[in-house]
Amino acid sequence: MRRFWAPALVLVSLGLAPVASADEPEEAADAAEVELPGGECLACHETQEDGVAELWKDDVHAHAGITCVNCHGGDETQADKELAKRRGSKYRGALSPREIVDSCGGCHGDAEYMRERNPLLPIDQLEKYWTSQHGKLLKQGETKVAECASCHHAHGIREVNDAKSPVYAANVPAMCGHCHADAEYMSDFGIKTDQYDEYVESVHGKALLEKNDVRGAPACNDCHGNHGAAPPSVDAISHICGACHSYNAELFLGSPLAPAFRERSLADCVACHGKHEITHTSDAWLGDEPGTTCRKCHEKGDEGSDLAVYFSDTMESVHQSFDEIDELLTEAETKGMDVTEAEDYVEGARQGLMQARTLIHAFSKPAMEEKLIEISENQAAALEAGYAALRGLQERRRGLAISTMLLLLLTIVLAIKIRTLPPLD
Amino acid sequence: MSTSPENPDRAIVAWAKERYPIAKFVEWAEHKTVPVGPNAFWYYFGGITLFLFMIQVGTGILLMFYYKGSADTAFASVRFISAKVPFGWLIRSVHAWSANLMILSAFIHMFSVFFMRAYRKPRELTWLSGIVLLALLLGFGFSGYLLPWNELAFFATKVGTDIVGVIPVIGEPIMYVLRGGEDVTGSTLPRFFALHVAFFPALLTTFIVAHLFFIQLQGIHEPDTWKEHPEQRKTMPFFPHFFMREMLLWLITLNILAVLAVYFPAELGVEADPFAPAPAGIKPEWYFLATFEFLKYMPAHVGPMEGEEFGLLLISVGFIMWCVVPWIDRGRNPLITKIVMAAGVAIIVFLSIMTYLGHSA
Repeated sequence: MRRFWAPALVLVSLGLAPVASADEPEEAADAAEVELPGGECLACHETQEDGVAELWKDDVHAHAGITCVNCHGGDETQADKELAKRRGSKYRGALSPREIVDSCGGCHGDAEYMRERNPLLPIDQLEKYWTSQHGKLLKQGETKVAECASCHHAHGIREVNDAKSPVYAANVPAMCGHCHADAEYMSDFGIKTDQYDEYVESVHGKALLEKNDVRGAPACNDCHGNHGAAPPSVDAISHICGACHSYNAELFLGSPLAPAFRERSLADCVACHGKHEITHTSDAWLGDEPGTTCRKCHEKGDEGSDLAVYFSDTMESVHQSFDEIDELLTEAETKGMDVTEAEDYVEGARQGLMQARTLIHAFSKPAMEEKLIEISENQAAALEAGYAALRGLQERRRGLAISTMLLLLLTIVLAIKIRTLPPLD
Repeated sequence: MSTSPENPDRAIVAWAKERYPIAKFVEWAEHKTVPVGPNAFWYYFGGITLFLFMIQVGTGILLMFYYKGSADTAFASVRFISAKVPFGWLIRSVHAWSANLMILSAFIHMFSVFFMRAYRKPRELTWLSGIVLLALLLGFGFSGYLLPWNELAFFATKVGTDIVGVIPVIGEPIMYVLRGGEDVTGSTLPRFFALHVAFFPALLTTFIVAHLFFIQLQGIHEPDTWKEHPEQRKTMPFFPHFFMREMLLWLITLNILAVLAVYFPAELGVEADPFAPAPAGIKPEWYFLATFEFLKYMPAHVGPMEGEEFGLLLISVGFIMWCVVPWIDRGRNPLITKIVMAAGVAIIVFLSIMTYLGHSA
C-alpha cells in the first residue's frame, strides 16, 4: 500500500481521488489471557486428556465467574486430588441426569440470581422442562432422556446464537437427530426415527441447512418447543404453523374445512402438507384424480371434490395463459423489442397467482373468482403489451425499408453524379 | 462590394470573400489530390471513422437529454429511453452500434496505414496522433459500456479496472480514481459518465484536429513505387471526386447502421447489483477480448513478477514498439521492412485468435 499513497496524495490534492472513507482498523484487543475460574480443579484437568479444561475456555459460565465447585462441589483450593474431593467438601463428581437438571435449574430458575447476572435470559426453562416429554420421563426414572447437558453440553456451553453451539438454529436438527434418528437408542420408546431424514429433505430443512436461513426457517424446536419439547396436539397444529404462515392459518380457520377437520380429528395443516417431510406445494395436488391431495378425503362428485376440480381447472387455465404470454414475450424480446412493461404485468399476475394459492386455504369459490379476475386482467394487459411490441417491430421494419429506399436512392443519385464527373487523368 | 438581392448565394459568398481569404481556401481545395491505385479503397476508412464519430456525437447528445448518470437512476433512465422515448431505442442502438463500427473502422484504418507503410517520414506525428486517437476511442468504449448500469457492464468494468490496477506503481491509484474507491460502486458511474461526455470528447476533438491538420499539411501518402516509377503516378481531385465517393460510403455505412439497429437493437439486461455475485461468463467488449484472453494465459508468476504484471509488461512493450515503428522502419533496410511487415501480420493473427478464443470461452 505504501507505493499507492504517494501518487494518491497528488490526486487527492487535485480533487480527483474520492473522499477517504475507510476507517482505520480498530486497535487490537488486549491479548492478555483472562484467568478462568476453576482453581486447582482446572490446573489438574489441564494435565488430563479428558478435554474438560479446553472446553471450559469457551464456556459462557467460565467467563461469568461460575466455577467448577458450583456444580461439582469439592475444594478447588486444594492441589491434592484426595484433599480436593475429601469427605465434607460436598464433592459430587459427574452428575446424574436428574442432578444436572436440578443443578442447572437451581440457578437458571432463580429469578433473583439471574437478574443479577443475565436479566434478559428467561427463567422458566426448568418449569417448561418438567412439562416436556423428556422431563416427564426423567421424573419417572428414565435416564435415556435429554437433559440440559444433552443439548447444551456439560462444559464448553456457548451462547445460543454462537454458530458453534449445538443449539444454534442450524445445528438443532442434527442435535435432536443425534438421539431421535438413532433407531437402536430410541428402540425403548416406540417412536419413529425417520424425522431427521424427512426434515433434511423438506422445504424447511433445505432452507435452514442449505440456504442457512437461521432466522426464517424452522428447526425442530420452533414447532416442538425448546425446553418444553413435546409432540404438538392436533388442535395446536394450525397455531404452530400459523406462527409463521399466519394468513394461511387465518384463512383455514375461517374456512368450512376447519370444523370438518375437528370432527374427524384431522391435524389441520399436516393432513395435506405432512409433518417433517413438508415439500413445496404444487398445483398438481389439487383435483379429484387419484394421487391428488384432495382425493385423500373426497370422492369424485361430492361437494368438496367439485371445488377441488374448480381449483385445479383454474390453476391450469392460469398456467396456460402464462405459457402463451411467455412464448409471445420471448418472441418479441428475441427480436430485440423492449417488453419490460409487459413483464411488469406478468409480475402482477404472478403475484396474483401466489395470492390465489394462499386463498385456496379459504376453500371458497367466490374468493377465488375475485382473485382470478385480477390475474386475468394483468395477463390480458401483458398479452396486449406483447402484441404491441410485435406490432412495433413491424413498424420499425417498415421504417427501415423506407429509409433504406431513400438511402439507396441517394446512393444511386450520388453514383450517377460521380460517373458524370470529369474523367481522371 | 454590394450584395445582389437577385442572387443571394452569390451575395453571401461575396460578403464572405470580402472579409475572409476564401479564395485561398478554394484554390487549396481545388488542388488537393488523393492517390489512385489498387490500395485506394483503404483511404476511405479514415473518413468512415470520422463519420461514425460524428454520429456518436449526435446520438450521444440526444441520449443525454434523458440519461441520468447516477447509480440510482441510470438503469431506469436507459430503460425509459429504450421503451418510452420516441425513437429512443433507435438512437441508443445506433449509438451502441456506431461505437463498435467506429472502433472497427479505426483498427482497419490503422492497419491499412501500417501495411501501406504510410507511417514513414515525414508522417511520424500523423501515425502517433492516430494511435492516440485509437486509444481514446477505446477509452470512450470502456467508459460508455458502464453507463447503462447493467449487470454485465458492471462486472466487465470491475474486471477491466482490475487489470488497470495490476500496472506497477501507477496502476493502483489510477484504479482508485477511476472507481472512486476501492471497488466499482455507485461512485464509479458519475466518473465514467464525466470521462465519456467531457474528458474523452475534448481530448479526441483536439487530436482529430491535429491528425487532420498533419494530413492536410503533408498530403495523403503515395505508394512507394511511384518514387521509382513516376509514370505510374495517378491521382484524383479530393473535391469533388474523392469527397463524393466518401459520401457514397457514408450513405452505405448509415444504412448498415440502420439495419443493425433495427435487427439487433442494443440490449439492456438486468440492473447492476454491486452486492450480487458475478454471473458466469463475464467478458469485456470485443475490442478488449484479446488483451483479456491473453492475460488469462499468463502463469501465476514469471520470475519475480506476477503473471498479469508480466503480461501487461509484454503488451506495453508491444504497444511502444508499435508507436515507434516509424523510427524502426525508415525504408532504408528492406530486411527491417520485411520483419516489421511480418510482425504486423503476426499481430493481426494474434489479435484474431485471442479474440476468437475469448469470444468462444
